[in-house]
Amino acid sequence: MGIQDLIEGKKQWRAHMARVKALPPDYHIVYKEMQKYLFKVGPVDLLDGPILTGIVDFFEEGAAAGKGVLQLIGPDIATFCDDLLKDSPTHADIYQRSINQNADT
Amino acid sequence: MNFWETVTGNDITRAWNSFEARAEALPADHQAAWEEIKGHLSSYSDFTGRNLTPILDAALGLLEEAASEGQGVHEVLGDDIKGFCTALAGGERSRDYRDRWREQLNRNVARKLAQLGG
Amino acid sequence: MDDLTEMLKGTLEGCVLEIIGSEETYGYAITRRLNELGFVDVIEGTVYTILLRLEKNGLVQVTKRPSGQGPPRKFYALNSAGRKELATFWAKWEYLSSRIDKLKEGGR
Repeated sequence: MGIQDLIEGKKQWRAHMARVKALPPDYHIVYKEMQKYLFKVGPVDLLDGPILTGIVDFFEEGAAAGKGVLQLIGPDIATFCDDLLKDSPTHADIYQRSINQNADT
Repeated sequence: MNFWETVTGNDITRAWNSFEARAEALPADHQAAWEEIKGHLSSYSDFTGRNLTPILDAALGLLEEAASEGQGVHEVLGDDIKGFCTALAGGERSRDYRDRWREQLNRNVARKLAQLGG
Repeated sequence: MDDLTEMLKGTLEGCVLEIIGSEETYGYAITRRLNELGFVDVIEGTVYTILLRLEKNGLVQVTKRPSGQGPPRKFYALNSAGRKELATFWAKWEYLSSRIDKLKEGGR
């Protein structure tokens, strides 16, 4: 994910956040807190992969079925997030790998 | 400097310039935090800074998100910005930070959902 | 049975693969199937994270179909890589359970 893509992706990002705002308040709260956590952890495919849009798809379905957000994902939001990230390396992982490689050579 | 170095060099410069443009749009407190983050992270930088760019991008995104939500710097980054940067770069104490972020996430959600219900 | 979560963790993905393998289906239906099977603590969120991983690892084919209410629903079917993964899962399961049975019977 390059910076240029991010700027060009602003319009998509705004559309994405508009969908988030349209969610019921409990979903909205959970999404925002999750996003903050995910930004900090920093999986490399966060902005161009299926994670964030997937959550909104999933939340929209849950809300449309009349479920509360905790009913859908349980109270341990952090574990839910970590499960979402399971196969995604983070920026920190890649950075660490790059310095270890340099140290090896 | 060969062709590739020139290209990647420009690429990095462009990225950093766009960071600065985004940072200028932040409130003063958030800008100060950005300066502090850059300071800490620059100690990690390798020759090109290329592998640091996405980490800076994520940190800036976090500040932008906080600002748009009207949240203070303290609320998103905690009181130890240096430790936060260590965690972002995956340093030795990063596991502790990840655990702290996890607790923070669950606690914030519980608190905000309780407020919603009340 | 209470508190199967930890033990179930490594096998749940295989269970989901098996359910998808028998027919194309969607997240909520998979969750209900697991609940009916007796895994009452499995929630939709958990199944969702598994489906996301299956999708990222290229083991399923995803089709969006309109649903009666609300947004379109994502349906999942196994592709050939997914079927291979499912076969591997059952092979591992056979091995594991036969070893554990043996242990229980006191054999060597």
